[in-house]
Amino acid sequence: MTDRLAGGSALLDALVGDRAGDWDVAGLLPVEVLRELGRRGLLCAQVPGSYGGAGLDSLANGELTAQAGSRCSSVRSVMTSQGMAAWTIQRLADEDQRREHLGALTGGRLAAVGLSEPDAGSDLGALETRIRPAGGDVVLSGHKTWVTAAYYADLLVVVGRLADGAAAVVVPADAPGVSLERVPYPLGCRAAGHAHVRLDGVRVPWSNVLGGSPQSLSLLVATALGYGRISVAWGCVGILRACLVATGEHAATRRQFGRPLAGHQLVGRHLADLLVAEQVATRACEHASRCWDSRSPDMVVATVLAKYVSATQAVRGAAAAVQVLASAGAEDGHVVARAYRDAKLMEIIEGSNEICQLMLAQHMVTASG
Amino acid sequence: MTSERSVGAAPATRDTIELEVLSLLRARLRTPVTVEQDLFADGLITSMFAMELVVQLEEFFAVAIVGPDLKLANFRSVAAMADLVRRLRSGARAAGSDD
Repeated sequence: MTDRLAGGSALLDALVGDRAGDWDVAGLLPVEVLRELGRRGLLCAQVPGSYGGAGLDSLANGELTAQAGSRCSSVRSVMTSQGMAAWTIQRLADEDQRREHLGALTGGRLAAVGLSEPDAGSDLGALETRIRPAGGDVVLSGHKTWVTAAYYADLLVVVGRLADGAAAVVVPADAPGVSLERVPYPLGCRAAGHAHVRLDGVRVPWSNVLGGSPQSLSLLVATALGYGRISVAWGCVGILRACLVATGEHAATRRQFGRPLAGHQLVGRHLADLLVAEQVATRACEHASRCWDSRSPDMVVATVLAKYVSATQAVRGAAAAVQVLASAGAEDGHVVARAYRDAKLMEIIEGSNEICQLMLAQHMVTASG
Repeated sequence: MTSERSVGAAPATRDTIELEVLSLLRARLRTPVTVEQDLFADGLITSMFAMELVVQLEEFFAVAIVGPDLKLANFRSVAAMADLVRRLRSGARAAGSDD
């Protein structure tokens, strides 16, 4: 596992290199980079080896996710989407479906998960996408918004209503009736291929309905978001690590008033806060991943907590980094400028700060931890 | 049925799986529950708590709750959870799954 992690990190470094700034400005990732990462199983590295995956545990995959996040949050966002799709398939699908779709996802095919809708953001219980049985097929109609990585995806995992429950359906992105409209200028993760997806009478076989029958919407959503949250949390650790490196170098070498910036006490406080932010986020993520790896039921709450802690720390840490680098980092594409914009999005997606707070508060009063 | 029976009063004749599920729940909830009690109607189980129960039941009983078995109805009561565990342990699968 350590070898696989090391190999994955090296490949990420080689494929991304120093190109993330250009990708951010262009708003586009080279799809061959994503396919190469996908073929190596690195976009959903927790898929077991028996399904063609890298078989990393949550802690090792977390470190890989942080590595991606430190290089390029857009690549890391694609990784989160692919991992969410794979985890959803792993948990909800039957064995034949797992073999088919996990094989595709570890073989270079790219996937995105469609959850949010115009009237269903934090309140996913309000989603309106319909899945109607039609003989041996199902027909999907609805509108999904802000689907991360949809622009690159070959497969869309679409969550909608089926009978008196819900289902996740694997929809080929090129199926008749699927149309995409890119989010033109996202605030952050600009090259992650966010798109709005319209499903206009899209017909796919029943065998694409994961699990083959209606399921609980809330459990389905909780399953998909559980993976998404821990992935985003580790991605924020990566953002903080990139800020730490850039800010440390700058503060040690840039001289003002006759001494390095780090020698000025008010700057020193920013450096200390940034280090604390990175460490706090890392510890919260490590704890959550260990809960996953030991199959502890605390994984659910620990994941929400890690996501909330990491996203808020990333926002504060990135702001401190921009403040220390000042004009040297205040240009689109620069690592700390990207961090500043990317981190803010992380306080919104996969459960906003406020939704995380509500879940943690509810946990406090309903369960004895 | 014994729907009014409280956690502490569960007799030894009850199915051991139900007793074990009851004891898991008792450790997590601040209020006693009965075997047939509708845990959702009483607001005791959120979807987040249900996810915890999925993990806990999988680990404790060495089963995999995936695919069509991952539905909220299976977590509505202690009896429903025990039924699910009993079925998974006997090797039977939910309708619609060819796993």
